[in-house]
Amino acid sequence: MQFKRYLLPVLLLLFIVILLLNSCYSVRLRSVEGAYEPAAPLVRDDYYRNMEVIELDTVITIGPVHKDFTYLIRKTDKCPSGKLHTVEYRNTLGAVLLSGITFGRKRKVKIKYVCMKSN
Amino acid sequence: MARTTKLSLTEWDTLHNNGPWELKTLYKTKLEASSLMPSELDRYNDAAQEIQKLIKETQNQNEGFRAYGSAWSLSHVAHQKDRMHFNAHMNTYFSFKDQDLHSNSNYKAENLFLFQCGNIIKEISEKLEGHGKALKTTGASNGQTIAGCISTGVHGSAIKVGSVQDYVVGLNLIIGPNPGDIVYLEPHTKPALNDVFAQKMRSRVIRNDGLFNAALVGLGSFGFIHGVVIEARNLFLLKRYVRKIKKKKALELANTLNFDSFTDIPEEVENGKGRSPYHYKIFINQYREDKDSDYVVEFIYMHDYKTSYPDPFPVIKKSVYRDLIRLAVNFGSTVTFTIPLFINALKNSILPAVNEVSTGTLAETFWDAPYQGPAFAISFGVSADKSSEALKILSKVSIDKGPVPGIFAMRFIKKSKATLSFARWDKTCMIEIDGVLWNEKKNLGTLNGLSREMMKALHQNGIEFTMHWGKNADWSFVDANWNKPSLSDFMYGDDAKTWREYRTALLSPEMQKLFTNRFIKECGLDKAEPVADPAALIASLI
Repeated sequence: MQFKRYLLPVLLLLFIVILLLNSCYSVRLRSVEGAYEPAAPLVRDDYYRNMEVIELDTVITIGPVHKDFTYLIRKTDKCPSGKLHTVEYRNTLGAVLLSGITFGRKRKVKIKYVCMKSN
Repeated sequence: MARTTKLSLTEWDTLHNNGPWELKTLYKTKLEASSLMPSELDRYNDAAQEIQKLIKETQNQNEGFRAYGSAWSLSHVAHQKDRMHFNAHMNTYFSFKDQDLHSNSNYKAENLFLFQCGNIIKEISEKLEGHGKALKTTGASNGQTIAGCISTGVHGSAIKVGSVQDYVVGLNLIIGPNPGDIVYLEPHTKPALNDVFAQKMRSRVIRNDGLFNAALVGLGSFGFIHGVVIEARNLFLLKRYVRKIKKKKALELANTLNFDSFTDIPEEVENGKGRSPYHYKIFINQYREDKDSDYVVEFIYMHDYKTSYPDPFPVIKKSVYRDLIRLAVNFGSTVTFTIPLFINALKNSILPAVNEVSTGTLAETFWDAPYQGPAFAISFGVSADKSSEALKILSKVSIDKGPVPGIFAMRFIKKSKATLSFARWDKTCMIEIDGVLWNEKKNLGTLNGLSREMMKALHQNGIEFTMHWGKNADWSFVDANWNKPSLSDFMYGDDAKTWREYRTALLSPEMQKLFTNRFIKECGLDKAEPVADPAALIASLI
């Protein structure tokens, strides 16, 4: 009986915690100049429908003496120019907490980017 | 060597989700790296060889082939059920010197450029800006490839300029897999480049006005457009004003395109008369016709270029929730009376802000249009002097047979020399309704059905019309009392026959079949037209 009494509030609390950890916003930067690397076939149904978008969802671990890190964009098949057209990063409470409890050693990176079309 | 990736697919769709339609194979060709092949001409010719190889491969399988770039068209003009070729990575370009010009050419070499098919309008504008040049006009956005633009007749509202194909002066087509199957077309009365340059492109030169004009708006069915020679102009600035003006005045300007009496913008008045704008556009919310006394109107005036002018771009661009729009339109598909309410609620997001003023180059004024979800557009060409009458008729149909989740706009272009251009009148008005695709299985009827009702209504009221090739319509529709075998014969009369004759004369029977798709079959443009002397018809005349 005791268990049943607390089940609903616990589930509700869990749901709110999951929601908060995932609560997020994105910020998008786009160059006024340049054409984006085009996609074919068109399979996405979002802002990036006609763009060759690269998604990065990882955790970067850095050492205690490192202040920050730089993620380098290289020439690849999806990014033949190696130059950036659009970048979108996503921030979540979970990512902030992860960085906080690891004293900045683990940093969640959730980025979408599109490269400039190559000539 | 140029590299082609071959993908086996089951379906293909447009940017605006107007499909999907079935597809077996998608080719994607990338040019050889410039580090391995530094000469742009070599890379260009190498790509031509690659395309010929793909055409041969397709022919061997007895299948169809069609090139596309940005999938921007809302109609199925770009679709082929067998093999499609994505050419947006074929984007080199050339500028010219006096020694490249034909001896009869009146062009300035500094204004001529050859762009490979996959260059999109935005990158062309940027490349031209590096030469102090600009395109003469574009569509309302900049994402279409140059080959796609001219194939479907893309236009803006440049009253005295016309459509994109109207500044094209030469076309480099690949019309088959064999060595003699690369041709360079020019009008014989206005040649641009000399034979030496054409030979560098390994092309056979045909200077023939009739053939050139037919191939200009070729609907992707006149061979593979590999290169497009355009005439650019010096950079210029556009000053854009958004105003609310009385409906009567807006429609009077639309019917006459005479702006002498329009003096509401003091900066654009000269000697007591209104200047003629570069661009004129009227936005019409048909659901407020009885309530509003004004239309929102966009005037754009041309000015000399200078380097310092206010930044035309905002720092932040916001967009409306697409899911919210989709939900509202889905709901409206069932409870139809909510559609006008929805359109009115969204008017601030749909219409430009009144009294907005901005200055920029053509490329800055008609900048990127982000993907905004499934969309439709039906666009009619009519003589400008009939524009207000046509608008009234089409608005009524959209309300009576709808309501439709979209609003109307009117833009204006001068007559085109292209045989199948929908700009057929000296002053052509393009009346377009565009909006959000709806669920056709519910209570709003079908998009094709709406286009049929609109065509019938214009005809019943004695208004001649054409339709934008890249927009939605029931392309197989022919009304019983039109007495014509197809929609294209109805809209273009003898010009449809002329177009078929040139196509029949230029392409071998195998290539006519290879470059045919469902769209041109539905339009009645696929058939071989008997030609007494095909060689004479497409002979080079100088």
